[in-house]
Amino acid sequence: MASEDEVSLLVVVVDVNPIWWGQQAQREPEFTLSKCLDSVMVMGNSHLVMNRTNKLAIIASHCQESHFLYPSKHWKAGDAAGDDAVSSSRDGKYEVLAVTNDQISEEVRNLMARTEVKGHQTDTLLAGSLAKALCSGQEMKSRILVIKAAEDCALQYMNFMNVIFAAQKNSIVIDACVLATDSGLLQQACDITGGLYLKIPQKSALAQYLLWVFLPDANQRSQLVLPPPVHVDYRAACFCHRNLIEIGYVCSVCLSIFCNFSPICTTCETAFKIPLPQMVKPKKKKLKPAT
Amino acid sequence: MDEEPERTKRWEGGYERTWEVLKEDESGSLKATVEDILFKDKRKRVFENYGQVRLGMMRHLFVVIDTSRTMEDQDLKPNRLTSTLKLMEYFVDEYFDQNPISQIGIIITKNKRAEKLTDLAGEFSPRRITAVWLLKHFSDSFCAGSSISHGWPRLKQSVSNRHMPGHTSREVLVIFSSLTTCDPSNIYDLIKTLKGLKIRVSVIGLSAEVRVCTILTRETGGTYHVILDETHFRELLTFHVKPPPASSSSECSLIRMGFPQHAIASVSDQDSKPSFSMSHLDNSSGPGLTLGGYYCPQCRAKYTELPVECKVCGLTLVSAPHLARSFHHLFPMDAFQEMPLEEFEGERFCEACQGELKDKSVFICSVCSSAFCVECDLFIHDTLHCCPSCIHSQSTS
Repeated sequence: MASEDEVSLLVVVVDVNPIWWGQQAQREPEFTLSKCLDSVMVMGNSHLVMNRTNKLAIIASHCQESHFLYPSKHWKAGDAAGDDAVSSSRDGKYEVLAVTNDQISEEVRNLMARTEVKGHQTDTLLAGSLAKALCSGQEMKSRILVIKAAEDCALQYMNFMNVIFAAQKNSIVIDACVLATDSGLLQQACDITGGLYLKIPQKSALAQYLLWVFLPDANQRSQLVLPPPVHVDYRAACFCHRNLIEIGYVCSVCLSIFCNFSPICTTCETAFKIPLPQMVKPKKKKLKPAT
Repeated sequence: MDEEPERTKRWEGGYERTWEVLKEDESGSLKATVEDILFKDKRKRVFENYGQVRLGMMRHLFVVIDTSRTMEDQDLKPNRLTSTLKLMEYFVDEYFDQNPISQIGIIITKNKRAEKLTDLAGEFSPRRITAVWLLKHFSDSFCAGSSISHGWPRLKQSVSNRHMPGHTSREVLVIFSSLTTCDPSNIYDLIKTLKGLKIRVSVIGLSAEVRVCTILTRETGGTYHVILDETHFRELLTFHVKPPPASSSSECSLIRMGFPQHAIASVSDQDSKPSFSMSHLDNSSGPGLTLGGYYCPQCRAKYTELPVECKVCGLTLVSAPHLARSFHHLFPMDAFQEMPLEEFEGERFCEACQGELKDKSVFICSVCSSAFCVECDLFIHDTLHCCPSCIHSQSTS
């Protein structure tokens, strides 16, 4: 068990892409965003209850912003005033958990109500949410759990990789719970930081997967039988055709990858030296000096 | 011959009145000044933004460590040598973190001779440097004089005989502690040779400034610093971790590299058979049979870790994240603007960690105008290399 003073932070990044969830509500009405958030709240409560010093943070990753659902900055100011409302937890639940759940529901309602989705921005800003999660978990031991719904956005590759390397440097584990399509970026993130990647076979059983697989922290995982690691494709994609290649040519200046040799790099426009076969000079015989 | 710019030495100028830094406030306490000094320490960082300059990404670096008797001196605790070795371990880790496809080698000078301790090696060669390993080799190495020039012929030989391709940057870092050198040949000839081979030599001095080192570094294009204390030593080493600007003579070429797939095989797989990894052939500890690994796309030799150079066919094997690690050098982040807390008008919350802004000043990103606190600013610039708010406002990388 962790020592009494060790603060352990769990950051849950939930993908609340409204377009994906809207389509999901039409496909399977029994698993909606509210059910997903119920499962997340169960997991958050369990984490807080496991140890007195555990902390929780929940970030909602939207198309236009990443918003902290918990802890919420607006509640901090009104803490003193909110005491009467807080103590009326109707089902005898531990007060901290009741407050947490109320904050989360309130914030998510506000978030979904106030944002308008514009036509061209349909991708979830996952890299940004992860960056914020990393900044918030600096002083303490922390780990990040990503619940991903929508597909990957290839444009975020650079930022995503920066975030992954920053997490690896600070020993922050990134776990991923994927609801629909496999995500190559998250597979790489979990592999590099040493986390767990799981694509859920049944969405309606989300709470079970969260509690069984993702609730135990890194120290306890060695004693459990967990889903096996997935095979991660680390092949690079060439810059010209976006094909995955096994052998390629890398520009020494800008590190862009090409599948065929070309005399000029298209990214940084340096001209390359073409390696010519070496000329062997005929050896000159030394003339002995005449004595 | 003396072309160096006029520089006043410390003993030439007047003494600075160092006591004026400390100022008392009305109640006579020094608390405000102390906080100010601590705050400045947090912010102290070498902000060398080279701008749009080509950098030498693939580096071949040799570290030459002086192990003469002056290293027994206890001005660095417990003695200079142990302190240097500890910092070397840190340096090697940081170096491979920032330059994953580069190589490093170590040479020590002792007993008026030079010994090559490890050859140029990538991150996962069997002879990976650990402090324990280094200390075992160094425990009895104090000797009389320090030879610098003996190090050079060995260095020159290893650098040129390895058919080093022109696109890599050839560098040497010397940790020089004594004040004298014992060299068999003329050191100015050696400097000319090094210049001809385009090797960049930098020196970190532990005792005092030595003129020969000044000339050496100036001629070859490196830097020369003398340390003040252990923290300064660490800072200087961190400065050398970043890739230096590429000299105009280094050639740019397309390097052929392989990107092997990781084959994970479990015992229940009928086709998989355990095999030896090529990287452990020199290693005699244990049988070394493994089931999965990385297979070279050209010759199908197996390796357990990347990046590595294939021993059979000579192809450099890397994985895409290794190249991605160096990208942030190519797109450096601008520094944030510092603004005193009183002038800042927005909400008093740091955009990144959601904590309240309590420090003296806030840092504003020039692109997206979001405010950050001191710790987040350090974290963003040193580790994250991208502004969390800028990632949100545009969906392009």
